[in-house]
Amino acid sequence: MDARLRRVNKEIADCKNDKASKVAIDLVDNSPYHLIGSFDGPEDTPYEGGHFKVDIVIPESYPFQPVKMKFITKVYHPNVSSQSGAICLDILKDAWSPVLTLKSTLISLQSLLCSPEPNDPQDAEVAKHYMTSRSSFEETARYWAVTYAGAPRKAGPKDVDGEVAMAGLEKAHVDKFEALGFDRSKVIDVLRRLNYRGANVPKINDDRIVEELLK
Amino acid sequence: MSSDNEYSDQDYYDDEDEDVLLDDAEDESASEMDVDAFDTDYRLSAKGNRKIYEVEYESLSQGDIEKLMKDDVDNVSGIFGVDEDTASLLLRHFEWNKEKLIEKFMDNAAAVNAAAGLSVPEKPHPDRSQSSGVRRSTRQNSADKVKTSSKTKSIIERISPPVEERFVCPICFDDSQTEYLSLSCDHKFCTDCWNAYIASKIKTEAEQWITCMGEDCKIVAPNAFIRKSLKNDSKSWQRFQELLVRHFVSCNQSLKYCPYPSCTYTVSCPSASSKSSLTQIVPIVVCGQSPTHKFCFGCNIDDDHRPVVCGVARLWMQKCQDDSETANWIKSNTKECSKCQSTIEKNGGCNHMTCKKCKYEFCWVCMGPWSEHGTAWYSCNRYDEKASIDARDAQSKSRASLERYLHYYNRWANHEQSAKLSVELYAKTEKKMEEMQMSSDLTWIEVQFMKKAADEVFKCRMTLKWTYAMAYYLDSGNQKELYEDNQRDLERAVEELSELIEQPLDPEVVPSLRQKVTDKTVYVQKRNEIVLEDTAKGFLEGRWSWNVPVEGFD
Repeated sequence: MDARLRRVNKEIADCKNDKASKVAIDLVDNSPYHLIGSFDGPEDTPYEGGHFKVDIVIPESYPFQPVKMKFITKVYHPNVSSQSGAICLDILKDAWSPVLTLKSTLISLQSLLCSPEPNDPQDAEVAKHYMTSRSSFEETARYWAVTYAGAPRKAGPKDVDGEVAMAGLEKAHVDKFEALGFDRSKVIDVLRRLNYRGANVPKINDDRIVEELLK
Repeated sequence: MSSDNEYSDQDYYDDEDEDVLLDDAEDESASEMDVDAFDTDYRLSAKGNRKIYEVEYESLSQGDIEKLMKDDVDNVSGIFGVDEDTASLLLRHFEWNKEKLIEKFMDNAAAVNAAAGLSVPEKPHPDRSQSSGVRRSTRQNSADKVKTSSKTKSIIERISPPVEERFVCPICFDDSQTEYLSLSCDHKFCTDCWNAYIASKIKTEAEQWITCMGEDCKIVAPNAFIRKSLKNDSKSWQRFQELLVRHFVSCNQSLKYCPYPSCTYTVSCPSASSKSSLTQIVPIVVCGQSPTHKFCFGCNIDDDHRPVVCGVARLWMQKCQDDSETANWIKSNTKECSKCQSTIEKNGGCNHMTCKKCKYEFCWVCMGPWSEHGTAWYSCNRYDEKASIDARDAQSKSRASLERYLHYYNRWANHEQSAKLSVELYAKTEKKMEEMQMSSDLTWIEVQFMKKAADEVFKCRMTLKWTYAMAYYLDSGNQKELYEDNQRDLERAVEELSELIEQPLDPEVVPSLRQKVTDKTVYVQKRNEIVLEDTAKGFLEGRWSWNVPVEGFD
């Protein structure tokens, strides 16, 4: 049997047997080289209670070249693209070592959710949000986890507007500019782009926003 | 300008002989045009009396570079009393900067050893049995924190003693394996995995710095270990040697790897190693593998771009590549429909335009709606309003600059095209030479003048091509006029020679044709020399000034 197949089969079996780590690997079709990994969002983070799925492709030269992984579940995180799910993690690139396994890599992803690295971002906009206002970022990440990853909604459902929360903005801000007669989605788009959040709000002049809106 | 002002179109045949005699010392080939082959005198000129537009350089084979590397390695291994593999790793870590290595090594040998992947930094090592990297590993090198007390372990790999309990390779999980290897860090893996890992690093990543497979392990595999792990894979080993050479070459400013595919030669050209020298010389070099492996030492243009220096050649290539000129053309030749913004080119007819797309009717001159023109049909009375005058001025300016560019570009492209067709020309010339041998009593060696002429035409077209790039950026003035005189003389001569060798063959006139072509070839060769020499001299004297800012010139 070829070494790659033996190794992947063993990794899948190991993962099945190991109930403690709460990391699962499933086959997509009959090929052992295209898999779906999944794990729970780590505790004490906005991702808690969510269940995250990862697309796994095993390259020809595995395990001597790293696996290809990306999030299937949408995640609001500085090191994960909010559009494509692409992940920026060193062990998936040049810090890969053949002794790393699918399980250990998935656990690394889980821990990446605990400790974002906004200085080395995959999604610059999310990273900006994270840097300017942690609490606002966490709210948005939570909202995404609830919406996409099936995390339970916490008690006291706030009056949230899906679209606004998704962009990590304040409803009051959006309402204010919408009242000036601009299209709601356009307002959200501009405010998100200008990073109109937390400490940034007093720094950004209303005129500047209107100017952007008029473009 | 040159000393050859006496050349004029009418009389140069007459004073040809005289000139040849005068210049004999400088150009041996001129007196023996008939029998001499170009290659020999080319080599003579490259080594013996170097021309002003040529640079001094040396071509080195992979073996030569390996010898240089070995000298450095031996030197370091002698100073530090370490084995060759260790010295090689140390040097590679310091990018072959021996002085820096010696200084740092004397300062703190342990830290250097750890940073160069020779020894494990002495500190509580994380439990190796657990391979799962829970934390996002940082790429920071922990070597800086190493205490001086860490001892250098021997880096020779060891074959682990027969293991009592069955050891399973943590990579392939194959328990039938019996042979294991590890570096000084003691991370054991089976030989098959080492083989696959090292081969994959060399082949797919082109990496010469191969670390241990253990997670976060910084120990680097020495050459002997790689040789051993690769087993019979001599191809990968060869590639590894090549990567080492490439790394060495890339660390040395005065060396450059030949850019031709799968060529393993290196050229050493110390005179062109600094950026500032590139404003004075054009370091065109040829590697020792093949005379067609000609490239510029100073830039990435894989073409002999003499006489123009790298900075200007680069500007020109950029200008030709980006499609800003397309935009320029659109700007100077079209207008937009003021209703639907379609781009319209007016190629005749009156000013009454009807947009094909939206059927909007407007005046081409003032771009206003046609209906407002009232009774002044077919003569726009708004023509002289200030706004429209300005618009027309801007348009004519952009048109003029475009035309200027096109003037140079067309000539540049023309010579390039002709040079490209030289393959065909060679084939045709070849045929003609055969024909000549059949139809006249000339021998093979006597018809070589045709090939020589074709060679010369090709060479001069390359020069001419780049003279246009240079002329485009030259500031106007006396210098430029002199330059263009030289250029024109060469161009005219080349075209005449080109015509001579391409005209249909008439057996009657072969002897006179031979005379004419031979004379013309010598003349063309001289004109080419003059252009190259004069321009090169100009660069050395700082005589040329540019109409745009050029990198390196103030």
